[in-house]
Amino acid sequence: MTRSISLIGLTVNGVRHELAVEPRRLLVDCLRDDLGLTGTHIGCEHGVCGTCTVLVDGASVRSCLMLAVQADGATVTTVEGLAPDGALHPLQQAFREAQGLQCGFCTPGMLMLAWELLRDHPAPSEAEIREAISANLCRCTGYQGIVDAIQLAAERHAVPAGAAR
Amino acid sequence: MKPPRFEYAAPHKIDEAVGLLSQHGERAKVLAGGQSLVPLLNFRLATPEMLIDVNRVAELAYVRPLGSGVAIGAMTRQDTLERTDVVRSRLPIVAEACRLIGHLPIRHRGTIGGSLAHADPAAELPAVMMALDAELTAVRHGGRRTLPVEQFFTGVFTTALAPDELLTEIRVPGLPPRTGGAFIEIARRAGDFALVGVAAVVTLDDGGRATRARVALCGAAPAPIRAREAERVLVGARPDARALDEAAEKIAAAADPPGDIHASPAFRRKLARHVGRQAMELAVRRAGGAS
Amino acid sequence: MATTPRTWIGKDVQRLEDPRLLTGRATYTDDVKLPGMAYAAVLRSPQAHARIVRIDTSRARALPGVFAVITGDDARELSNPLPAFCAEPVVEYALAVDKVRYAGEAVAAVAAVDRYTAEDAAGLIDVEYAPLPVLTDPMEAMKPEATKVHDNLPSNLVFEKTLSFGDVAGGFASADRVIRRRLRWHRASAQPLETAGAVCSYNPASGRMDVWSNTNMINYVGWLVAGTLKVAASKLSIKPMDVGGSFGSKHVLGKVIAIAGMLARRSGRAVKFMEDRVDNLTACENLACDRIYDVELAVGADGDFKGLRIKVVDDYGAYFQFGHGTHGNALAQATGPYRIPGFEYTVQCVLTNKCQQGVFRGAGSDANNFALERLVDAAAQELGIDRVEIRRRNFIRPDAFPFKMPAGNIYDSGDYPKVLDQALTMAGWNELRKMQAEARAQGRLVGIGLATAQQRSVYGPTEFWFWYDAPGLTSVPESVGLSLGPTGEFIATMFSPFWGNSPETVVAQSVAEEFGIDPGAVTVTYEDSLHGLPSAGPGGSRMTVMLTGAVVGACRKLKEKMSRIAAHLLEAAPEDIVFGAGGASVRGVPDKAVGYDALGLKAYWFKLDLPAGMESGLEARHTYDHPYLTMPSADRKDLGAFYPMMGHGAHVPVVEVNPETGQVRILRYVAVHDVGTVVNPKSLRGQITGGITQGIGMALYEQCLYDADGQPLTASFMDYLLPTAQEVPRFEIGHVETPSPFTEYGVKGGGEGGRMIAPAALASAVEDALAPLGVTIDELPMTPERLATLVEAARARR
Repeated sequence: MTRSISLIGLTVNGVRHELAVEPRRLLVDCLRDDLGLTGTHIGCEHGVCGTCTVLVDGASVRSCLMLAVQADGATVTTVEGLAPDGALHPLQQAFREAQGLQCGFCTPGMLMLAWELLRDHPAPSEAEIREAISANLCRCTGYQGIVDAIQLAAERHAVPAGAAR
Repeated sequence: MKPPRFEYAAPHKIDEAVGLLSQHGERAKVLAGGQSLVPLLNFRLATPEMLIDVNRVAELAYVRPLGSGVAIGAMTRQDTLERTDVVRSRLPIVAEACRLIGHLPIRHRGTIGGSLAHADPAAELPAVMMALDAELTAVRHGGRRTLPVEQFFTGVFTTALAPDELLTEIRVPGLPPRTGGAFIEIARRAGDFALVGVAAVVTLDDGGRATRARVALCGAAPAPIRAREAERVLVGARPDARALDEAAEKIAAAADPPGDIHASPAFRRKLARHVGRQAMELAVRRAGGAS
Repeated sequence: MATTPRTWIGKDVQRLEDPRLLTGRATYTDDVKLPGMAYAAVLRSPQAHARIVRIDTSRARALPGVFAVITGDDARELSNPLPAFCAEPVVEYALAVDKVRYAGEAVAAVAAVDRYTAEDAAGLIDVEYAPLPVLTDPMEAMKPEATKVHDNLPSNLVFEKTLSFGDVAGGFASADRVIRRRLRWHRASAQPLETAGAVCSYNPASGRMDVWSNTNMINYVGWLVAGTLKVAASKLSIKPMDVGGSFGSKHVLGKVIAIAGMLARRSGRAVKFMEDRVDNLTACENLACDRIYDVELAVGADGDFKGLRIKVVDDYGAYFQFGHGTHGNALAQATGPYRIPGFEYTVQCVLTNKCQQGVFRGAGSDANNFALERLVDAAAQELGIDRVEIRRRNFIRPDAFPFKMPAGNIYDSGDYPKVLDQALTMAGWNELRKMQAEARAQGRLVGIGLATAQQRSVYGPTEFWFWYDAPGLTSVPESVGLSLGPTGEFIATMFSPFWGNSPETVVAQSVAEEFGIDPGAVTVTYEDSLHGLPSAGPGGSRMTVMLTGAVVGACRKLKEKMSRIAAHLLEAAPEDIVFGAGGASVRGVPDKAVGYDALGLKAYWFKLDLPAGMESGLEARHTYDHPYLTMPSADRKDLGAFYPMMGHGAHVPVVEVNPETGQVRILRYVAVHDVGTVVNPKSLRGQITGGITQGIGMALYEQCLYDADGQPLTASFMDYLLPTAQEVPRFEIGHVETPSPFTEYGVKGGGEGGRMIAPAALASAVEDALAPLGVTIDELPMTPERLATLVEAARARR
């Protein structure tokens, strides 16, 4: 079988990239290895743990379940896009104050979910928060710190409300 | 866990897609939302030589009113289905079931067509479509056919689709007035595949008697099934507690469940009775019947 | 004990670790990328027990992009067996040599241009196996006639012994009743979200191997790993990484390091091997105990506990890397918080054709807590005594500390009645009972659980060997370096990795406490195994105690030198120098001061301004040894103090059980912990809620399952179920502090308590819920089908 390569272009955290990838290359590997954005993590590669969660065209997806070629022409946001110059975004600051992290491995994925939730539901109940973050696994915190962090971020309007979808 | 090598094409039109399917047939698999197929690729449990990615076939993604029902393009995302007004108002059971599919990031990519074509025995949408008498359209190079949902699911992960056919549309007829539907499932954790799920759709007359009933199960057999004996118990009678109990027994009897580490066949059968009872009762209540 | 007023110890200091973790700029092992680096994939045995007849790697080698392929034959040449902490000759190589002993055991490994190609190549390796009988039942495997998992061992019953403490026979003879239970604690898996991995780079000219890995014990057993890699210990640099969780599973990652290291030598390139999730679930080092308990509690009619007998069969899987260590662990607190005058512990360790056990948070004491608390609940029920009262009656009294428990271990401090009272008050015990009565009247099965149990911390290494006759290692230190640079900046250096606990923050808080500066002014760095001081690293809830001890020691040394410099500069006596936010000053004369930057500059650049005979520089290192470790007696009747920082907790979960579906809903969860002086309350709370959540997993969701052919049935996250945010409630956490008399600041460790107590508490709650049906809970996890079956059987009996 000949080895096929596709040329793709995608915008990640506001920066346009053009690269050549095998069709089977997963989006998470493209982000981590080809673009050096190692903030997005790999936890299971079968779509359960959510540590690979990024936003593609504004919607949360598991980047281990997307092929990089499927992101051709897309706009992708990863955790590095929240704090481009290192200063913590208010959402990240809320996570810090409420101790919504311990080892940090699930944190980028959780931040993406939190961002999307608060953008679309600026005043979520605890039940709504738990439903949203139950998409991702955390093995360290028992989730309470993460719930507290998102509640704190909501109180502070850390994430600008998005247009109704 | 990385996918094996495959050739790849991303057509933009249905014609292109089915042209590729007719060319590659058994060598190829259709990639829709990828939430089921990509894990299989990552595990290397699926090793297609060719992947036909239909995510760029824009003409496959739509939700339109059709008569009193709805016509849904196969590539409609599960999240879109859940949020679209015409689905919420005309087929609330579909929106209810979608909400139980995995989690939001999965529903952002997962599609109704993909779910039906993948035919996981535990998946929600196949059972819901069974309870709604849906009609499925399959297109091949040079032809199309429509088949009722009852003929679509033939076994575990197996459908009536030929290797060169693409599922393009799902048509769901409208529901008569005084119809209530409910989908309830039991899973180990929120968002997991159902151990057992039941979709119940019941229509009542002015006297509170059921004139029509559909009860479909997922996770209870190699493919989604209708519990026709249960439906027969309900129709023509006022669905009181005794009738619902008897119908629930029929649901358990109709089940031919698989066993796995999460539940044995006997336990699934028991869960089918339990969940079926709840789903039917809720459907009746929503139809305006007394509980 | 009077509470010393403290500035930073006890405060919710924001973690130093967080900024890089929050912004995705941490460096986990998979983030490491070296020039020309190759990626490894491993071929694993589909057979649970078989001889390897033939391996053909020719097609794999021929695949473009493949740099090296190795098998067990190569492992025998390129490596030595993996480090093992057992006396028995249970030999394990990183790749199976001659035979495979569990499904998933590594058989070959490939280094290629990327992981995709490496997996392609692994699929091209042909292996011929000659199957052998598979042993999955430890009761069968221990029989003399069973096929041997290791041909060089006399039997699969690799270790068996009884230790007896106090007058056990007398205690049982004097009892009015003996409570008996057979209990089953199934094997779970730590499953941190980050898998184990290593990047290895070998320089043949210098003989140096550089390793980036999420392994622990870099400066404790690094030299053992060198032995496995066949490099000199003085030429092995293991660098600590940011680690995405461990919970005991990443102590000595010999396998992944050896695989990456061997491939690095063969290929001439740096090689990265990261386990994927299937690797981790089937072939990792993070499996926990797998026990069958036969336990007896001798009681008087009035509820006094008179004796305890524990018989346990533990299914270790195919290897024995940590030996019977988790049983030594259990001995530290086998009698719990109760005055039980004597106990006997019989252990049988059995090898089977499954992946071997490692260590998972709780390390054996979690299972023992479950066994003991089941007995206590059973005693209450059989004697007709209230569950709360029977515990109160038998608690070790608050004035009895330090308390020597029958095996010889010391409980340093505690106030068990106070913890219990607080838990009952927070839970609203009486209101709960009323609510339960109302619920029961409606036919709802609501249960209130209670577990009062120990959470030991700071392990002593004697627990690895005191079951044997011969002595073993007695060091388990932790070191810290501390320097004040010429710009006045404090740099603290650690020699163990960050696991998701908060070691940098603990260190910074301690330095801040000692010097009166802000914790944010402290920079924390790490050192590798070549530059490190002895440090055993995280585990056994030891880090808070050990780091504070090491930091206080280093601060003491640094202050001593700084005092002499300041005194010299300020024309005062060194003993009159005090430290604060701005620097050093003379006590009572704040104007006579010198800032940290001035002190630093002097120390490094102005030798002639220093006291005569003083070396330049301002750096101190301190190795803090276990604060209270004593040798076991030769006859092993007294094991000495080996786990004396004894925390405690009381958990009160409230559950509702659906009798048809067997599903358990947790309505409330109250937990009160006493872990001595708390350093960082928020951080501790996170450890507790995370630990309880893992305990909920153990109690309701998690089990590693194998079929009769030894095939793993839980080889993905679809089958091995970790709790999500919707499976756990909001936790109500309370604290009591009985400071330790033996540690700096009186701290104890609190990292494991949640998981050590929650399974017992939830078993109690579910049993209480099902009490109207007469169901007893003897097995974890309590899956829906298990519970529904128990309910059905109980109803049939009526």
